[in-house]
Formats: sequence, C-alpha cells, structure tokens
Amino acid sequence: MFFLINLLEILLPLLYFFAIWAYAKAFFSGVKFAEDLKSILLRVVLGAHALYIILRATLLHHPPITSVFEILSLIAFTVVLVYAYIEFRTKNSATGYFILILPFFFQLISSLFIKEVPNVPPMLQSNLLGFHVSSAFLGYAAITISAVYGFLYLMLYHDIKSKQFGVIYKRLPNLETLERMSLTAAIFGFVLLTIAIIVGIIWLPRVFENFDYSDPKLFGTAAIWLIYAAGLVAKKVGGFQGRQMMVLSVAGFVVALLSITIINMFFTEFHKFY
Amino acid sequence: MNLSCLGINHRTAPLEVREKVWFSSDENREMIATLKERGISECVLASTCNRTELYVSVDEHSKAPVPSWKDLVALKKSNVEAQDSHFYSIPSLHAARHLFSVASGIDSMVIGDVQILNQIKDGFSLSQELGCTGPLLNRLFAQALHVGKRARTETEIGEGAVSMGYAAAELTSKIFDDLSKRTALLIGAGETGKLTAQHLESRNIGSFVFANRTRTRAEGLARRFGGRVIELQDITTHLNSVDIVISAIDSPEYILTTAQLRHALKQRSNMSLVIIDLGVPRTIDPGANTIGNIFFHDVDTLNHIIDRNLANRVAQIRSVEQIILEELTLFHNWHRSREVTPTIQELSKQFEAIRTSELEKHRHHFSTEKQEELELLTKRIVNKILHTPITNLKNGSNADDAPTVGEKVSLLRHLFGLDRNGTE
Repeated sequence: MFFLINLLEILLPLLYFFAIWAYAKAFFSGVKFAEDLKSILLRVVLGAHALYIILRATLLHHPPITSVFEILSLIAFTVVLVYAYIEFRTKNSATGYFILILPFFFQLISSLFIKEVPNVPPMLQSNLLGFHVSSAFLGYAAITISAVYGFLYLMLYHDIKSKQFGVIYKRLPNLETLERMSLTAAIFGFVLLTIAIIVGIIWLPRVFENFDYSDPKLFGTAAIWLIYAAGLVAKKVGGFQGRQMMVLSVAGFVVALLSITIINMFFTEFHKFY
Repeated sequence: MNLSCLGINHRTAPLEVREKVWFSSDENREMIATLKERGISECVLASTCNRTELYVSVDEHSKAPVPSWKDLVALKKSNVEAQDSHFYSIPSLHAARHLFSVASGIDSMVIGDVQILNQIKDGFSLSQELGCTGPLLNRLFAQALHVGKRARTETEIGEGAVSMGYAAAELTSKIFDDLSKRTALLIGAGETGKLTAQHLESRNIGSFVFANRTRTRAEGLARRFGGRVIELQDITTHLNSVDIVISAIDSPEYILTTAQLRHALKQRSNMSLVIIDLGVPRTIDPGANTIGNIFFHDVDTLNHIIDRNLANRVAQIRSVEQIILEELTLFHNWHRSREVTPTIQELSKQFEAIRTSELEKHRHHFSTEKQEELELLTKRIVNKILHTPITNLKNGSNADDAPTVGEKVSLLRHLFGLDRNGTE
C-alpha cells in the first residue's frame, strides 16, 4: 500500500497538469475534445487525491498535517474539492483553469519534497485537530476561490465597461454567474471557518495547559471571520451588489492572506508544531 | 457520378437578377413536378434570397436532358435578362462538395449563416414528398445536413452576433444569467427596436415595457411581444423596475442624462442596469458608462462586436473545410462501392456456380468425409482467386493514368462475360 502512496505522489502533479491543460485548451481555443475531457479529468484528480489523503491518514495513523508538505497537499485537495462542488452546483466549468493552477503548484511542491515525519507529536495525531485543520483549510480554500471568481468578475466587468471584447469576454461566464459563484464560495468558506473556529476553541484548551485567548493568531482569525460576516450582512441588508461585493471578496482574501502570513511569521507560537 | 448542380448566387449575379429566379415553395413544387414529368428521376431545388440551386441526378439510361439555366428561367416563367455568366454548372463530385460548403455556411453572404441549413432541408423534404429523390440525392442531402450540423457543433462558424439586434441581446446575456427574470424597456417602436425585441424574445426575456412618441405604435409592439406601454416622458420613473434599457429612437437631445441614471441606480439598490443606445446621434448621455453597475453601450460598440465575430467566423473556414473533406471522402467511397457492388456480387455468383457445378460432376469420386473437405478446399480457392481483384476494384487508385471505376467495371464484366443489364 505504501507503493500506492509513492505512485500517487508522482501521478498527482501529472494529473493536475493534464487537467489544467484541458481547461486551458477549452477556455482559450474552445476545442470540443478538451471540453469533454476537462470534467472527466477533474473527477479523476479529485478521486486520486482523495485516495492519497485517505491512504496517508490510515497507513501512517495520523491526519495528513504533520509537515508543511502534507499540509500543502491537503490545501490543494481542499481547493479542488470546493471548486468541483461549485462547478457541479453552477454547471459552469469555464473557470477551472484559473482555479486549478494553485493546487497544481501546491501538489507539485508537496510531491517533490514530502518525507515521512519519524516522530509525530501526540497532539498532531488527534482526530479533533484533524477536523479543525480540515475545516479551516476547506474554509480558506473556499474564500480563495471566492476571491478568484471576484477577480474574474472584475476583469470581465472592466472589459465590458471599456468595450474590450477579447477572450475574457468570449469565454468567461456572465457577470451574474461569476458573482453567484463567488458568493456561493464565500458562504461555504464562512461556514467552514466558523466550524474550524468552534472546534479550535474546544480543542486548544485541552492540549495547551497555559492557553491564552489573547494569542494574535486568534485575533487574526476572528478579524477574517468578521470581514466575511460583515460582507455577507452588507449583501443581505445593505443591498451591496455586483462590483461592490466582488471588490469586498478580493479585499477580504487579501486581508486574510496578509493576516495569516504576517501573524504566522512574526507573532504567534502555538500554531507552530514543526 | 451522374450528379450536377445548376445555380445562381450572390457572387455571380446582382440582386435584380437573383430575385427573378427565386422560387417560392409553390413554384418549387410545380417545377419539381414538371422535371419529373420530363424524366428527371432525382432533383432538389434550394432557393433563398441569395441563391437558387438545382441539384439533379439523371439515370444513365434516361434520355432526359439535364436542365440548363434557360430551362430554370423558363420554369420560373421569369422575364429576367440573364446571361451565361450569372449561372454556374458544377458536375459530379464537385457538386457534392459545393452543396456541403453551402450547408456548412461557408459559401453564404454572411459566413456561418444559420438559416441556409433549414432552407436546404425544406427543399430536400419537398422533393422527397414529391417522390423526386432516389438513392443518390437521399444520401447526398442527408450527408449535407450532417455536414451543416457538424460545422455548427464542432467549429465556431455560426458563433457570435452578426447583426445589431443580436449583438445587443448577446451583450445583455453577458451581464445577466437568466433573462427570463429580467425586464427590458424598449424606447422607440421602429424597425431597429422591433428586431432587437425579437432577439430578446428568442433569449426568453421575462417581460417588455414599451415607450414611444406615438403611443399606438408602442401598443402594436406590446401586442406582438407582450408587455405594457408607458409614456415616453415617464421612462425615468420606471428605471427602478427594469434591467435593460434599449433606446432606438430619434431625439435631438438626451432622453436620459447621467444625473437621472445615477439617481435611478440608487433607487434600484445598485442593481446592474444595461443600457444600449441604438440611436444616431446618441439619445442617452454616454457619461452613464462612468457609473458603477451601469453598462452603457452604443452603435459603435455593437459594430465592434459584429466585426470581431465575423473575423472569428472567417478564421473557422479551414476547420469547416476539413469536415467537408472528411464527409466528401465518405460520400465518394459510398458512391464507388455502389458502383462496384453489383459487379462484385455477380462475379462471386458466377465463380460459385462454376465451383458447385464442377463439384457436383466429380462428387462420386470422393467419400462422404472427403466431400466435406473438398467443399471447404474449393471455397477457399475461389475466395483467394477473387480477393485481389475485388480489393483493387473497391479501393481504386490515386494514379492519374489509372482507369476509372467505370472502366474497370466494364473491363471486368467484358472479361468474365457478366450480364450488362446488371450494372448500376
């Protein structure tokens, strides 16, 4: 079975590459063969990656979060999972190229450098932590996808307003669909981040005896949660529409990215396990 | 191949000539019936505003002459002053290729025209109904319709708007997902407004609101497309209840200003508003495009879209020609096999007759067990003897000096004394 894990580590970047190729070919050239192939390849990638994650978790007896490279693979999987859900829900597969580039690079780096961690700290073997991390990553993946759709919306919006009718105008779905895709992803992300925060609040005091709720990481996470909550309220109550919502989605993602990067690098210790 | 195409189109003749050899459905029916009476076994006429083409297949034993353009004009009972150069006559496989080009839309005045396929289908159905199609034209037209479908599904030859109304509807569809939930305000009740309404209707627009200086004309459109009528001076008060504004009216001054639109957008909670100004001079302040969530476009924008789409269609011609070549090869192979199949069948039959006759004569020399072996052996010998000539006859040759299929069939029939009445 370990052979299968090693094989999937080689196969996954290749599968991602072929899927991206099919999505790119369909988007830029409208080739029918690629149109038919891309969704099949997405299912293959998703299935193979799910198998890889399950094999790692069961054969190595811990959630796949014990090294940066395991986490990169998990992020790649969550992004693809959320994208596949949105593609299935909206029945629109034109944007896959823009989304799948990110998980391809994550999985490539993971496959190139991943090694087994000989002594996994006991706290990283907790299933509750696995659930916390999985939901957090799914949430971040969803808000990333929401931002990508927001960005695509702004590109198309700009092209229509400035009367540029190139490949973006021709191939992207209409503005209303892009807005709906971004909003679906944002709601999905918000719900999962909420779950991750609740599970984290339950789990953290059990593991860290001197746990301090004033940790900057918690403030950062709360700030991100509040931004998305405010955005969704603005949509529901304040009548935010179209471009305004998409700017908020992109801005929310940028804040989340900066918050996670800066706080992880300079301020907090308790989320560093390796 | 006993196939020919006699035609006239937008490249060979001016409109004043073409319109005089255009056949209505009744005239088409009458002409096909006349040609049938004259001994033409298979014929189909396709007549559109840009072309009239008669496809004819005459049985080689028939004495009926292939119609000329003068016959076509006479059958139309037209007094047109036509010349030889206005018409073309295309023989044999070239006629099939031409029909495939027409069906795919690459021979149309507007490249990728979607109407032509239906017009060919109508002409073919009429001839079928009158019993004036046979194996050749049935196969040819079925394949031509298949070429048309393939060209439209496998390439972008018919993609993109190439008229003002269509471009306006297409632009609107790039902003809203489901037009059935949207309302369009149409200002002006002239021909441009009507055409745009038709395109929006074909995209399942939810509802229409019409406004025009002359209310009765707006009411006429409301009856035709459904929807309600408002007074022209009231359009600003209805901007919060519509999603698309199309202005196709003549006005010396702006009927909607930037300030009015900014105010309307606030009232409609910033929901997107598409404005398409088809007027020249423009009737809506172009400054509207600076307002967020308002998408303002004018005639220049639509022309730009049309130009791009036409260029894209032209770029698709090579892919369509590839499809035509594939289908033409299939058609040619089918036709060739149809030419040689009876001869092959007769030849096989003759060899089998010789085999069984000789076997019968000498059967008593062999035991029952040996007779079975002999049966198998003689069959195998006959098959091996016939294999090479049959294969060569079916496959033909690309060499210039190679005999034609007809010549080969004649030679074979002569050499083996096959009955000539069995030929196709």
